[in-house]
Amino acid sequence: MSVRVRIPAPLRAVTAGESEVSVGAENIDGVLAELEARFPAIRQRLRDDEGALRRFVNLYVNGEDVRFLQGLQTGVKSGDEVSIIPAVAGGC
Amino acid sequence: MTADPNALGRYARQVVFEGVGREGQRRLGESRVVLVGCGALGTVLANMLARAGVGFLRIVDRDYVELTNLQRQVLFDEQDARDGVPKATAAIEKLKGINSDIQYEAVVADFGPENAESLIADCDLSLDGTDNLETRYVLNDACVKLGKPWVYAAAVAGYGTFMPIIPGETACLRCVFPDEPEVGSIDTCDTTGVLGPMPGIIANFAAIEALKLLMGVHDRLNRGLTWVDCWYNSTQRTPVETPAPDCLSCQQRIFEYLERPVWRRAAALCGRDAVQVRPSNTVELDLPALARRLLVVGEVRQGPQMVRLTAPPHELTIFRDGRAIIKGTAEVSVARSLYARYVGT
Repeated sequence: MSVRVRIPAPLRAVTAGESEVSVGAENIDGVLAELEARFPAIRQRLRDDEGALRRFVNLYVNGEDVRFLQGLQTGVKSGDEVSIIPAVAGGC
Repeated sequence: MTADPNALGRYARQVVFEGVGREGQRRLGESRVVLVGCGALGTVLANMLARAGVGFLRIVDRDYVELTNLQRQVLFDEQDARDGVPKATAAIEKLKGINSDIQYEAVVADFGPENAESLIADCDLSLDGTDNLETRYVLNDACVKLGKPWVYAAAVAGYGTFMPIIPGETACLRCVFPDEPEVGSIDTCDTTGVLGPMPGIIANFAAIEALKLLMGVHDRLNRGLTWVDCWYNSTQRTPVETPAPDCLSCQQRIFEYLERPVWRRAAALCGRDAVQVRPSNTVELDLPALARRLLVVGEVRQGPQMVRLTAPPHELTIFRDGRAIIKGTAEVSVARSLYARYVGT
């Protein structure tokens, strides 16, 4: 068992097209570290230069925004689903 | 409205629907709506709301119709593109033929901090047909400040998202995305393209939320942020339903985007190789004089609202209010320089 991470379409360019990735981490920081180990280019999309979460891409654990939980330290357990939801700009 | 049998006849199918009824239709008929941006999202929003019978519809758009718009911007046709008609005007001309009972107002201008509040203040609801996030943050700040609901909607490639926002009740855009993405960091129609139906799908979702808001049926709102991907086939609803306690806009009531320094004077336009440059002060150009001046530079066409200079590889469309849309470059610095050379600073 593991944590499922759903990758939205705009980030699939940096995950070799993967739409869902399973990781075995215990918190969000660990989830990101595993993602970054497999897909290095995803780091820049999700974190700023200091490693903090970007404020225009949201991470949700079972639908709850980690900003309102414990941020990068938010715990995850087997069976949890992590979603990545970025801001969208288009409309033209 | 109910006294007029013809008016009811037109709306019969939606009045019969349990969620609308005569009372809902009456409310729609008395409602005032402002649409910010009239492209792929905006034409669909305007179309549905005009057909649904709102009382007043103001359409704000800075742009003019081009051939590449026709793939997805449903109110425009080839003649509009040939004539280079402003989108707000072209849309309303079509809408008058669809529903002549509505009072329309076209505003051919950029929606920005200097006019945002006055454009939304006399309306019940604002709709998002914009093509960039910066304008959406301006719209969010203005709506939060004035306590007006709006519906965030955005689409690109094969995905999109929407969220109805009631200031003080639901999360606002800045609750969900506290910072604007850096320029060039996210998908645009330029870099990623867009499937025509995708903005239509999102705009129709947003239009339904708009009808609920206008009829006051808040218990049926599709709350939170909904993500729809029609290429990879998934939908996802994120229940971000309450304001973020530290939200700069709706909790601290600091409206950064209504302050001029945050607003950029030049911005690359989503969807094409073009940049818009805006004057930092309010100006009213003497268009005939400008047209004469530009004759030595290249081919010049003058319309009532604008002067168009074709000087390959660039094309400048300069509006009376001093705005210019400069095609043939995505470089803000190049655009600024062309603006300075041909329009003057």
